[in-house]
Parts: sequence; C-alpha cells; structure tokens
Amino acid sequence: MRTRNRRTTSAASLTLAFLLAACGGAAPQSPGGTTAPESSTLAAGTLSIGFEGDIFSLDPSQGYDFISWPAERLIFETLIAYGDGTDLVPHLADAMPEVSDDGLVYTFTLRDGVNFVNGDGSVHREMTADDVAFSFNRILNPNLTPAPSPVSGSFFTVIEGAQAVVEGDAEEASGIVVVDERTLEITLAQADPTFLNIIAMPFGSVVPADLAGEDTDAFSEDPVDTGPYTLESRTIGEEAVFVRHDHYWGETPPTDRIEFRFGVDGNTAAQQVEANQLDIMGDPVPAGVVNSLRESYPDRLVVVNQVAVHYLTMDTSDPEGGPLTDVLVRQAFNHAIDKENIVQLLRRGVVAHCVYPTELPGHNPDCAPYDYDPERARELMEEAGFGEGFATTVYTDPSEDSTAVVQAIQQDLGEIGVEVEIVAQEFDVLLGTVSVPHEAPLVYIGWFQDFPDPSDFYDPILSCAAAVEGGFNTGWWCNEDADALAAEAKAEPNAERRLEMYQELELMVMEEAPWVPLLFPAIDTFISERVQSFEPHPVWFVDLAKYPVTD
Amino acid sequence: MAGPPTSRAPITVPGIGLDLDVEFDHEAEGARTRMWRELRRDPGFWTGAITVLTLVILAAGAGLISPYDPDLAIRGRGLAANGDPLGPTAEFPLGTDRLGRDYLSRLLHGARTSLIVGIGANFVASLLGAAVGGTAAFVGTAHLSFRVGGRRLNVSLPVETFLMRLTDVVLSLPALLLAIALVAVVGPSLLLVLIVIAGLLWTVTARIVYNRVRLLREFEFVVAARALGAPTARILLRHVAPHVASLIVVYATLGIAASVLLEAVLSFLGVGVPPPAASWGTMIAEHAGYFRTDPRLLVLPGVGIMIIVLAFNLLGDALRDALDPRSWK
Repeated sequence: MRTRNRRTTSAASLTLAFLLAACGGAAPQSPGGTTAPESSTLAAGTLSIGFEGDIFSLDPSQGYDFISWPAERLIFETLIAYGDGTDLVPHLADAMPEVSDDGLVYTFTLRDGVNFVNGDGSVHREMTADDVAFSFNRILNPNLTPAPSPVSGSFFTVIEGAQAVVEGDAEEASGIVVVDERTLEITLAQADPTFLNIIAMPFGSVVPADLAGEDTDAFSEDPVDTGPYTLESRTIGEEAVFVRHDHYWGETPPTDRIEFRFGVDGNTAAQQVEANQLDIMGDPVPAGVVNSLRESYPDRLVVVNQVAVHYLTMDTSDPEGGPLTDVLVRQAFNHAIDKENIVQLLRRGVVAHCVYPTELPGHNPDCAPYDYDPERARELMEEAGFGEGFATTVYTDPSEDSTAVVQAIQQDLGEIGVEVEIVAQEFDVLLGTVSVPHEAPLVYIGWFQDFPDPSDFYDPILSCAAAVEGGFNTGWWCNEDADALAAEAKAEPNAERRLEMYQELELMVMEEAPWVPLLFPAIDTFISERVQSFEPHPVWFVDLAKYPVTD
Repeated sequence: MAGPPTSRAPITVPGIGLDLDVEFDHEAEGARTRMWRELRRDPGFWTGAITVLTLVILAAGAGLISPYDPDLAIRGRGLAANGDPLGPTAEFPLGTDRLGRDYLSRLLHGARTSLIVGIGANFVASLLGAAVGGTAAFVGTAHLSFRVGGRRLNVSLPVETFLMRLTDVVLSLPALLLAIALVAVVGPSLLLVLIVIAGLLWTVTARIVYNRVRLLREFEFVVAARALGAPTARILLRHVAPHVASLIVVYATLGIAASVLLEAVLSFLGVGVPPPAASWGTMIAEHAGYFRTDPRLLVLPGVGIMIIVLAFNLLGDALRDALDPRSWK
C-alpha cells in the first residue's frame, strides 16, 4: 500500500519512504457474534487522530493509503479479517470458508443478523450474499467514476472470469456464485494461498448493493456499511467525525466518537499530543523531536517495526544502456551505501540487506550478500569499466526524512566517483514520474505490505508484469527465471516449502541487484495521556475502534 | 573632463505638469564631496558598509576559512549516537547539522550563495532595468521609415508604451508562483535562481529610471545636445546616464536585500539552490523540525539572513540620503 493516494494506477501499493502506511479501526472481533455488552460499562468519549494529509476516499473501492484505510475500517467490514496478529479470522463470514482440495473453490457462509446502518444511525437492511457478490464485482468494474479501483486489474483478477469484467466484456465474474441468501461460492482461476488475505484488505469490504453505485464520490460522501461507526460529518481539509451507533452486530467499541483532523503537520501534531489536545499522531513523529519525546514520554511513544522496506532502485534495463544496466555497477552501489548511517539519521528501523522485512513470513536473517565496503565497491566499478565514475539522478519526495536519506546516498556514491543529482518531487508527481519506464535512473522509495505474504514483495514491485508503464517495478527489472520461480512459489501448497522457495527467489533477486535495500522502517507514534490502551496492530498499525479514552 | 551642463531649478516639466524643486547643480566634484561628507556622518552607512565588507570577505574566503567540507557529513563523529545533531564543541564550533555536516562551514558557504545571488541578480537586474527604462523614456515612439520597392513606408513603433506595459505585466506576476513553475520545468540550479530573481527585480529599476529620464529629456542641456545633432546613444550615455547612475546604485543596493530574501524563500520552498549546496533558506527548511529541540539550527541561518538584509538596507538608505540634496544638513 502506498502512503498517499492520488494517481491510482495498479495493484501495487507504494509507500513512500518517509511515511508509514497503516490502517486501523477494523472491526472489533466479536466471538460468536453475540450481542453487544452494555455500553454503560465502557469508557466513552472522543478519540482524535491527526494527519497532515486528508482522506482520499471513503469508498472502499478507492482508498489505498494510510489515511483512508483506518477511516474506512470504522465503517466498512470484510468477510475475513485479521485477529490480534497476522492470523485470519472469520468476520462477516460465519466461519472460515470451506476450501476444495485443489484450492480453487471457496465456500463462504455469512453471519446472521448483520445490518447495514445508515449515516443517521438507522438500520438500512440486512446484509445478504448478493451484497458480497456485488462488492467483489464492483472492485473489478471498469465503469466506476471518477476512476476504477486502483486494484481493479490485480489481486481480485485471481477470481475466475474476473478479467472479463475488468475488460468490460462481462458484468459479473463467472467465479462468483450466490448459492443462497447466506452462502457464496467463489472459484479461482488458479490456486492462490493469499486469496483470503486479498479479501481481508479494505478492498474486500461488503457494501450494500442498492446504495453503492458507480459514482464512488457520491458513496464516499454518504457511506453506509456494517461497521460500528457511521460518518457524522466531513469537511475536506479539516476533519472527519465518526460516531458509534446502536445497531452494531459485534462487540461495542469503547469510544463514542472518533475524529480525524487533517492539515496538522508533524511538529504541530506532536505539540498537540504532548498537551493532550490530540490523542494519536497519524504521521510519524518528526525526526527532530523523536529523541526528546522518547526521553520525556517513554510510555507515550510507541515504536513499531513496519512490515515495509525502503530501497533505492536502479534502472536495470535502460534502453540507452547506461552504466546501471551493468550488474557490477549495481553490486558496487550495494557495497557503497552506508545503511547504518541512514538508520542513524532516521533514528528508527533496522538495516535491510535483502527484500523481505523482519516481520514478514519468509524473512531470511542469513540473507546479507553485500556488506558496506567502499573499497570493494571501487574495485567493482573498475572492473565494470567505470573507475572514473559517472553522473546520474536520484528521484525522491521532498520530505525531511527522504531528503536526508538521499543526501547520505549522494555522499556515499560520491565516494566511488558517482555524481548524483537530487530531484525531489511531491509524492503524487513522483508516483507519475517513476511509473514512466526509464524516466528515473535512481529512485528512493518504499513499499508497505498489503498483506503479510512474500508474494506482496515480489509481484507488485519486482515482477515483469509490474515493469510496465504504470507499474511500480521502478528498477524496470524483468527476469523470466525469477518470474517462473515466483509463480511456482505462489501456488505451492506446502507452507514451509513455499517460504523456502520465496527465500530462494530473494537470493536470485539480490544477485542481480536491481535494488539497494536500505532499511526496514519502524514508526513511532505519539499518543496522549487520554488513551487508555494502545496496541499497534501488525497489519493495520492503528486499530482506532479498539482504544478507550478518558475525558 | 567635461561635466554635464548645469540647469537651474525650479523647472516645469512640459507634459507632466509637475513643478520640480530639484537642484541639478552638477559641478561634479562639489556634489561628490558633499555626498561623501554626508555619508561619513551617517552611522548607518558605517554599520552597513562594515558588515557588508565583512560578509563579502567571509564569503569569498569561505573555502579557506571553513574547517570542513560543507557538503560532506563527518561520518562517525558528526552525529550523536542517537542520531541528533551535535551542539557546539571544540571540534565543531557551531555544532553539526542533521546529516552531521559542520555547521560553521555550511553557514559560511550559505553566505556565499546569498551574496552571489544577491549581488549577481541585482547587477543583471539593474542593467536590464536601466536599459528598459532609459530606452522607453528617451525613445518614446520610434518613427521608422523603410523604402520598399521604391515606395516609402512609415512605421511608428510605440516603444515607450510597449516597454512600460511589459514592465507592468512583469510586476503583476506572482513572483513565487512564477519561480516555482520555472524550476519545476527547468530543474533547480543556482543559475536559474539568479535568472528568476533578476527577471523579476529589473522592473523596479526600470520604472525609477524611466521616470527620471522622462524628466531629464526635457532639460535644456539635453535639448541642446539634441539640437546639436548628437546621436541618441551619445545623449543617453554621456548626458543622461550620469544623472541616473546614483539612483541606480541606491536601488541596486536596496534590491540586494530583497534578492537575498527571495533566494532564501525559494530555497526554503525547495526550489532554490539544489542540495547538497548550502543556502540559508535550505538550511532553515531542512531543520524546521528542530525548532523545539535544537533551535540553533534555525536561528543561525535566520540571523544570517537578517544581518545581510539589514546591512544592505542600511547601506542603501545611507546612499539614498547622501544623494538627496534635500536631506543634506
């Protein structure tokens, strides 16, 4: 998932190096779907979270960023959700689906008594299997306005017949079949162990078929779904307020109101949280104040390692045959950059030697093919015939953290004779630039998981399919052997063997060195004294519906 | 050496209807002496001049004085273990910045950037402004005649209207938006910052020079020169220029302060001098997040900008006063 969403082009989710991506406020887990406990026993009050940016959309087919997702998840719910960790649990589904032996057919039974609730807190009607079928087809629908879903061409295309919907040849995917009011059968085109992770993303939210039209802006203004909150008011650029309603099927969340405040820059937000005027910082704590806050408020600064990687991509297939197409040069870059220094500059995170983040299944602690060794880097440059060095350009966003990192890289590469020019572009402009093939020789960028599976760290950012205009394989690296191994690994039913295959794939990637992996970032979030308990979620990071506050 | 002829005030300028009480007593030597006498007595002049001189020396010698390379982080020693910049120490007299670069060296090189842009852009802007204003005022409407195929063709070019309306148009452009748009298209560089600032600031000089030349061209000595058949260029350079030169110098000096500020603003917005080059505006922008924890990082370049702007303003004011006979004591 990327951190700011403007230009939605593909399945990929790109997170800019400096920001976290996190999504919170999911549906609180309700064991067995019992009715809500007495709300009088719970802390009430208002929980507030501040961001510099704004919600992109409250339509779950559209939002793909770290502000929209936590907001969407207060209102919208999915069939399958994450428990307290990365484990999947049934949510709007009554139980985990039955899966056929070949892994192709998933049969879902829906929970009884789940109601769609209008913006004014009244019940709209009960959810049925038709709504689920409608919702999945809606993600694929190419006629949504103002734009189709950013993931319309990916993820959900694993469903049989989905491609025809995306291309406009069919209204509904043949693989989505409503058996009866409570039962839904989904057939996949090929086996995909990550299918349940896919539908657990907010894109898999079940929306009411009679209200969610093709105009996503209209639905975003008046969202209706099954979650515990409804949208009370929203002022673009200022705030969005969500209030708890009385008709939620699950456990009643602890807070009455949740306020999103926008246009609050990091330093202002830190001051407001310090003064208990704001409860949670949505953006990372600015590097300049991190250490002093850590010292003053050790209990209120929560550090979480993100399942994300920040890296420098190199244009491996430049048609003009620049120096970066030479694997020796790319390996030299890997030896030349002092990653410890970058982590020190950012004051959080851990050094990345390979692709998969520490917290991702499949992370290989032994994968460390390139150590920091400028001497070796110079040798490799000599060997490649670039002993004299060359000039190139790195693209990044203009945030404080990102410009610090690229200046550190500039100095390191200067040591091996490579003169680097820095171009900082606003995030949405940058997304446009880096998705044009061979426009940017070097790109400093980040990737945050959509779901905890190594396939999400290969398919959208390293595969040949992503090395096309609009894709996020910004090194334009395309290796058919690696792609073949990735496809094989993805379909491998044995979980352990599957991860081994992904580790093999990772080594294959690193040998060709399309990237310099830099760090696996961590994020500090600063919370007010009012927040009674704050447990960061490993997938969503913030889970707003779970944090009680005192007034 | 022939000085410009003398005319006596008061003068009524035809066409403008202004009664001017300006004394054009140009025994050059006398005026210069009196001006110097005025300046010498003005503490603002000395403060400004000495500060500017010091800054110029520091900036010119930045390469020699700086203890470290301003663009390279000092790895291992430049940052505290927790990643924070170092405060002043014996090794780094003004501490280090967020990347671990010596702050004193950065500040000195930042002064150099400011002065190059300030003085360079204003030099260009003043020449351009003087040329535009002078031409517009003196030429008015150009009457050209060509001979095309045996027929005479008379063309009137409204040079004055064209140039002065162009000046109005440029003055009305939102400077920052224009600069940001240009940088977005061309890519940031020191040269571009210089061009953008010069391209915006010439208008002020152009208007002032235009107004003064417009008055001067009706003076007897100019009319006399014209009656004697002196070519326009000679009249402008020989007879008119000495009367506007001082004015240009005053506004150029004041303009340097404006350019230094504009450069800082552009760099602060990230469209100025590209990294890693030091610029005070960039240094403030880079360390905006440290305003509570380490204000030194913002205060030092901020004070630098303040001093440079103040110094040039003092100098400009002093020059203006000294050149204005009405303020002579």
